[in-house]
Amino acid sequence: MATHVREHRDNLVQRLPVLQVALVAMLVLVGGSYWFVQVVHGDYYRTLAEDNRLRNLPIEAPRGLIHDRHGRRLVENVPSYNLMIDLTRADDSDESLRFAAGTLGRPEAELQALLERPNRAAPFKPVLVAEDLSLAQVAHFNAVALEHPEFEIDVRHVRLYRNGPITAHVLGYLGEVAEAELAAPDSPYAAGDLVGRRGVERRYDLHLRGENGEQVVTVDSRGRLRAKSGRRAARPGRRLDLTLDLELQQAAAMYFEDKVGSAVVLDPDSGEVLTLVSAPYYDPNIFARRLDSEQWRQLIEAPNDPLQNRALQNTYPPGSVFKIVVAVAGLSERVVQPSETVFCNGATKIYNRRFRCWRRAGHGRVNLREAIKESCDIYFYFLGQKLGIERLADYSRRFGLGAPSGLDVGGEKPGLVPDPEWSLRERGDRWYPGETISVAIGQGPLLVTSLQVATLMATVVNGGQRVVPHLSREQALPAVDSGLDPDALAQVREALRAVVEERATGAAARVPGLTVGGKTGTAQVIRQKTWVDSKDLPYEKRDHAWFASFAADDRRRLVAVVFVEHGGKGSTTAAPLAKLLYEIYFQPGIDRSAA
Amino acid sequence: MRSISSPASIVALPEDRPALRYLAKVRWLMLLVALALAGAGLATIHSASSELSVDYMPRQAVWVALGLIAFLVGFGVDYLRLAKFALPIYVAALGLLTLVLLFGQEVGGARSWLGFGSWRLQPSELAKVATVLLLARYLAASNRRVLELKEVGVAALIAGVPMLLVALSPDLGSAAMFAPMLLGMLLLTGVSRRLLVIGALTAALFAAGAWNLVLLDYQKDRVRTYLAPGSDPLGDGYQLRQSKIAVGSGQLAGRGYGQGTQSQLRFLPARHTDFIFAVLAEEWGFLGVSGILFLFGAYILNGARVATRARDRTGILLVVGLLSVFTAHVIYNTAMVVGLVPITGIPLPFLSYGGSFLLANFFATGLILGVDFRRYVNR
Repeated sequence: MATHVREHRDNLVQRLPVLQVALVAMLVLVGGSYWFVQVVHGDYYRTLAEDNRLRNLPIEAPRGLIHDRHGRRLVENVPSYNLMIDLTRADDSDESLRFAAGTLGRPEAELQALLERPNRAAPFKPVLVAEDLSLAQVAHFNAVALEHPEFEIDVRHVRLYRNGPITAHVLGYLGEVAEAELAAPDSPYAAGDLVGRRGVERRYDLHLRGENGEQVVTVDSRGRLRAKSGRRAARPGRRLDLTLDLELQQAAAMYFEDKVGSAVVLDPDSGEVLTLVSAPYYDPNIFARRLDSEQWRQLIEAPNDPLQNRALQNTYPPGSVFKIVVAVAGLSERVVQPSETVFCNGATKIYNRRFRCWRRAGHGRVNLREAIKESCDIYFYFLGQKLGIERLADYSRRFGLGAPSGLDVGGEKPGLVPDPEWSLRERGDRWYPGETISVAIGQGPLLVTSLQVATLMATVVNGGQRVVPHLSREQALPAVDSGLDPDALAQVREALRAVVEERATGAAARVPGLTVGGKTGTAQVIRQKTWVDSKDLPYEKRDHAWFASFAADDRRRLVAVVFVEHGGKGSTTAAPLAKLLYEIYFQPGIDRSAA
Repeated sequence: MRSISSPASIVALPEDRPALRYLAKVRWLMLLVALALAGAGLATIHSASSELSVDYMPRQAVWVALGLIAFLVGFGVDYLRLAKFALPIYVAALGLLTLVLLFGQEVGGARSWLGFGSWRLQPSELAKVATVLLLARYLAASNRRVLELKEVGVAALIAGVPMLLVALSPDLGSAAMFAPMLLGMLLLTGVSRRLLVIGALTAALFAAGAWNLVLLDYQKDRVRTYLAPGSDPLGDGYQLRQSKIAVGSGQLAGRGYGQGTQSQLRFLPARHTDFIFAVLAEEWGFLGVSGILFLFGAYILNGARVATRARDRTGILLVVGLLSVFTAHVIYNTAMVVGLVPITGIPLPFLSYGGSFLLANFFATGLILGVDFRRYVNR
């Protein structure tokens, strides 16, 4: 019996070693896995552990402030409080959202929309729920921090453009850096950075932006700060002083409140831009917050595209303003004597085609000075014919037309100075002599920007130096000698003075005590077969109105160009602003040229 | 030399207590190994508790002290006498499991605790021991070299009923531990090859059926996360990832006691319970890991030695059954921490914080050494 039992027992014991080996083998297998993870791949996991606990927190570098020529601050940095939610800390994210919406008095859907923006890069990082909280709201969220640990207030500085729409086109605004900019080699930007979009903010972005500092911190799994280690201080952005004169800018912007167009005021000796207004304008401060699609739609669908800088980016025919160029060319080329006269009876026939003067009754017998003063078309038809298109094009270019003027913020359209070569190249057709006649009074294919007209006028005023307009005071570039005859320029200047001071088309710009000169212009929107007064036409068919002018006292001079789209006559819609600007600038006792 | 009182019965009934002099012959080394593991557990729990609301180390120390009492109980009771009551004990355990299903407290999604005031008990731990005991008694009675199909079926039923009850709670991890227990004991008793193949196929079918019928959504998620760790970065994927980072960053020598950033900065959840081994791996490195694995190996081999020199089938089967469950816990937990198998709530014996489980392991150690102590009685 005992053997029987023993046998049975031995059966079991015989099988034991197999089980033992199997168990130990499994332990060894597990140990091998640990060897693999800890020793073979240990460095990799050590790095992941360090990534887990170490955070490089950026120290925000304040962006440089921008001042006008008199040191008035145009923009400042203001804190903006954003509400963030850490979803890993929220028991019920719907409940948290309801609470936030209730506290902020904003619709839940708005917060939900922000929350749903995907952030695959950092699923554990707090997500933006609401922007731009008031201080009272911030205090409220701080007070409930214990019950709602999932909420965090994130402080970020945003730009506040003190004058809003008034300086919108000059200053531009900031926007989040785009993927393409980040991808560029040597990109100075980091993801999430705000960079200048348009205007001065864009052109001088590297000057204005500082360099963010960095604080290396140890955090726990909830992102709570445990210890600080390395630190690199932030380098603040530099201040930027503009040539802009805020008061002139404000006056011009106010004038354009109900108009479409642009105004440029230049110092004709330095090229400093004192005013640069484009209307309609927009409020750049809306870009400080995230634009919702509705706001964006409103902005881009607004009539007349407020985002467009009309002073640089829209080109128009110069109209009679171009007679300045034709007159200077005629005198310099000696194809005309100042005393020579032409008889104007309201119309004439050249190349078998009828060309009309704007004045139906005609001007009678006019010399150069009178032709400029009265803006007689007939006189300039003949002068243009004598000069020919090549010389007209040459002088246009010497005045800076047909090419960007070189304004530091960039974005300029070159406009168009037509000549036979252009005609063949671009139109595939020869240049017709009749077109030269149209160009002579600033019509035809000729296209200019208001900024180009301002540099043109500066060249007339300063005796032939083509200045490079600029908005930054540190960016002054030397003027280019246009090679124009100073005597011819002086004679044209005198005629322009007569336009204003001898009760002609520029009379509205007259300021007692100042020497003021100028030239009105009309850019036709539709070709008119007969004489029709522009103000009898519907708005969109009315002519554009130009007024290019200068003013001087015994020490200083200034150029002002005003362009009003569909403004009809420059004499009544454009010239009054020039007068207003001169009155402000030349105010007795205040030296506005000094900065 | 004593003879068996009844040749028909394989369950030998001892009439004498073993002489106290045999105490010196007992494999005390096994208890020392258990205490060393528990000591390592206390130290690691203390480190893992640094960011928790309380330090769980003193509580666990109390459990270790109670565990020694449990050891003495297991050591003192005659396993053959105990085996006589295997069926009533088993039925009582099933009763407790049913009670838990009906009135239990829910902890971590599973209704597996019985509460008595501030005391909580996990009947599934008791059920494991009770099932091993009944299986040992039943299989010991078989007098064939290879088990009959009917015997295998009864054994499967004995293990299957408590397994099902635990699975319903639903604590699949604990339920799964009944499988290696049954497997280890069946293999030892002897199973025909044909039956092994059939068993393997049945298990595969059952696994497929379980996926559709038995597994709850959160359990399926765990398996999915295991198969594709990136799929759930905030849930189980997070746990798995943080655990692997903790283990890997320990490298060869560890980051030092109390210096593990994964555990000290709260990146690792469940760090004092199911994932205690990750804390140990992070702070003590591969050297610490191999040390602990070595101790586990020593425990198992010492237990196997006890089985080898036990004098009766019941003793052998009891020891092997207990060791099978123990080893399954060790292997599954350590494999889970390093990311080899899906996450499920299986604690690490002697190291994880938790009273019932620690008591059960000390009690089992007592039973095993009790078998060793009584090996001369049958001479």
